[in-house]
Amino acid sequence: MTPAIEVRGLRAGYGPVPVLDGLDLAIAPGQFVVLTGPNGSGKSTLIKVIVGLIPPERGTVLVLGRSAAIPEARRRIGYAPQQGAGRMVLPVSVAEVVEAGVTPSRSLIGGGRKANRDLVAAALDSVGLTDLADECVFELSGGQQQRAVIARALAGDKPVLILDEPTNAIDRSFRPRMVADLRRRADDGTAVVVVSHDPDDFHDVTDRILFMEDGRLRDVSHEDFHSEGRSA
Amino acid sequence: MTDVDTSSRFLLLITEEFGQRALIAATLIGMVAPFTGAFLVQRRLSLVGDGVGHLALAGVALGALVGFSGVWGALVVALLGAVLLEALRVRGRLTGDLSLALLFYLGIAAGAVGLSLAGRFDTSALGVLFGSLFSLSWGDVALIAVLGVVVVAAVVLLYRPLLAVALDEETARAAGLPVDALNLLLVALTALLVVGGMRVVGLLLVAALMVVPVAAGSKVAHSFRSTLAWAVAVGGASALAGLMIAAAQGELVPGGTIVLTSIALFVLFAMVGRRASVAHRPRKST
Repeated sequence: MTPAIEVRGLRAGYGPVPVLDGLDLAIAPGQFVVLTGPNGSGKSTLIKVIVGLIPPERGTVLVLGRSAAIPEARRRIGYAPQQGAGRMVLPVSVAEVVEAGVTPSRSLIGGGRKANRDLVAAALDSVGLTDLADECVFELSGGQQQRAVIARALAGDKPVLILDEPTNAIDRSFRPRMVADLRRRADDGTAVVVVSHDPDDFHDVTDRILFMEDGRLRDVSHEDFHSEGRSA
Repeated sequence: MTDVDTSSRFLLLITEEFGQRALIAATLIGMVAPFTGAFLVQRRLSLVGDGVGHLALAGVALGALVGFSGVWGALVVALLGAVLLEALRVRGRLTGDLSLALLFYLGIAAGAVGLSLAGRFDTSALGVLFGSLFSLSWGDVALIAVLGVVVVAAVVLLYRPLLAVALDEETARAAGLPVDALNLLLVALTALLVVGGMRVVGLLLVAALMVVPVAAGSKVAHSFRSTLAWAVAVGGASALAGLMIAAAQGELVPGGTIVLTSIALFVLFAMVGRRASVAHRPRKST
């Protein structure tokens, strides 16, 4: 089976000293993976290389068998960055934020409005924001904004999901529902990668835990995850 | 000035061809300018229209020096200047306001020197800077209409990807959208609008019509789409009302009255929006 994400011999970083060097990784479709580790260990760098924001200095990054450098390959990834809804200057509705997640997989010019609305509605339902679809996103709480950004990644049911600290600002009471939704998506064949410092949120649903330290990855057990994740 | 003078001047806007041309051109530019302005404001690039406008003055001077129309000179230099501004921004050399300020001064200074070298630093230069709405030809109106149709068509067709980039450029790039091409298109459309608005409100004021109606719309809207709709209405209303005020008074520069009207509407919308936001409390919970 073609891996959802495949990284071979990756060297990448921001300056002369690489953050990642010689990194290998394969994530299968349907796997629920939690990527954890201390601040500065290289988690976000790895994510940004996979979604094409940082070009690798060396090595191969494939998304469903195609180079991540190709835009068409990246359109199969739903990505939610850590910084939330970003800096909004003008009023933007929750539905507009979520629709931006559908846009890249559609024809650039016109069309698909009905299909877009259906995909946006489904994503909003997943994060419990259906009632707030027409609200201005920067009038919402931090947690609701975070859920809107996650809905943007979920919109369109892409086969690969990468969520950077998705539970950071979210109310503990809502987290189980969101985690269960992600697990259901993994069961349906989506590769789910979650970057998290909080092992408790995903303890019962994850298939695999990757611990990153000093730019190196290793699989750890649930028990290790619990202890190392807490110390991260 | 008597009431008869005022009303007869109003009527000139309808009965005389120069008035009709002014009405059509001003309304067109007023309504079209927010189509790029909304995206520029959302991306915190509100001053790009001003930068392109300043550079376009050098284009008008270039046209005068080499012997072709100032409009075409402005069009060429505005487009090249817009591409240059975007290239500097992408390479991280336009993150502060210093680089933009240097380009402003380059455009104005080169324009002043070029126009004086061509022996054209006269009242026509004021028309370039602040508009010459009542001296438009039907050919000018047709050019403005064509530029307006190009801008509106491009924004309508590419609305969703342009909005995705404006909301979050990094995520749009990660998702495989052609971010650089879309950004380049946006500044090129801005350059077309600058040239279209040059004869209407002038190079120094045209960017105001891209920004101020959008700022007004943002005070009462809850989405980007409704902000744009309000901005188009405010832009059109400002152009009409500003032109009527200038026509009624008889000696005011229409470019100035149009922009001042849009600023007055911004203040009005800000007051209305504040009251509305008190009534419309969002549901806060995590």
